[in-house]
Amino acid sequence: MANMDPGVLVTIVTIVVGAIAIVLGTAIPALVEGKAVVKALEGITRQPEAAGHLRTTLLISMALLESTAIYVLLVVLVLIFANPLLDRFLGR
Amino acid sequence: MKTDVFPRVVFTLFGIPVRDTVVSTWAMMALVVIVVVVLGRRRPMALEMLVDFLNDTITEVMGRPAAPYLPVLGSLAIFIAVANIIGVIPFLISPTRDINTPLALALVVFFSVHYFGICAKGLWGYLKDLASPIFTLPLEMISQLSRTMSLTLRLFGNIISAELLVAVLFALVPLFVPLPLVGFSMLTGVLQAYIFTALAAVYIAAGLGASSRDLTSSRKGS
Repeated sequence: MANMDPGVLVTIVTIVVGAIAIVLGTAIPALVEGKAVVKALEGITRQPEAAGHLRTTLLISMALLESTAIYVLLVVLVLIFANPLLDRFLGR
Repeated sequence: MKTDVFPRVVFTLFGIPVRDTVVSTWAMMALVVIVVVVLGRRRPMALEMLVDFLNDTITEVMGRPAAPYLPVLGSLAIFIAVANIIGVIPFLISPTRDINTPLALALVVFFSVHYFGICAKGLWGYLKDLASPIFTLPLEMISQLSRTMSLTLRLFGNIISAELLVAVLFALVPLFVPLPLVGFSMLTGVLQAYIFTALAAVYIAAGLGASSRDLTSSRKGS
């Protein structure tokens, strides 16, 4: 481990961190979006005449919740495809 | 795979590098213009239905008559929807795959929020509403910048993730397994166009200073 090539070490750390980040960053927003959908469905069953307005609000708020997962995805994509640290350690 | 998904420079025009997404945008614009001209000659009803649908949707989201904002918001919706699903045509790629295209669209939204706000309330009134208690001014500035960034990254992230997924699956199992995912990515593209337009409408309505009285009166009127 100590005499490992720094490029290999950075690559391994990047992959492991990316996997952990994408798991946490998609699971938590998915749970929260599920809560939002449940609440909206309860509202629709209670008041079916408000379904159109609730659907619009639900879609907009889910897009806002979804954006955190998208940020995580973009960070992981940058780490995997365009890692700035890897370029530094490989001396390019 | 990396070269399949991420944009690359095809040629330089007067020293400015032109990416393949820009070329695809030109092809897309020509396609949209041709389709609209042909539809306008043959089936004008289809265009009227499209405009009516956009008008109703934006009116419902904004809670006020959408007529002054329909040109910019409807153009955004049509542009993003066509740009997201044009990637399924061979030799064409989604212009939204390049992060500069969503950034340009989000900047259009950013400037139109201020433009419509100043048109509605005047320059001084708009600035005064922006900083009504003075200590909310930094928060307001941060929220303006972060909403532009989030509009950009949401559109770009959704499209690039669908494209990457399809590219990885095509590399693993050719042709038949990725086809449902291509259909799913088209659905995502249309949904993202709706969400981008709805969020732009919400931001413009917030910049206009929607009071609850406006909302209820316009809903009763409609």
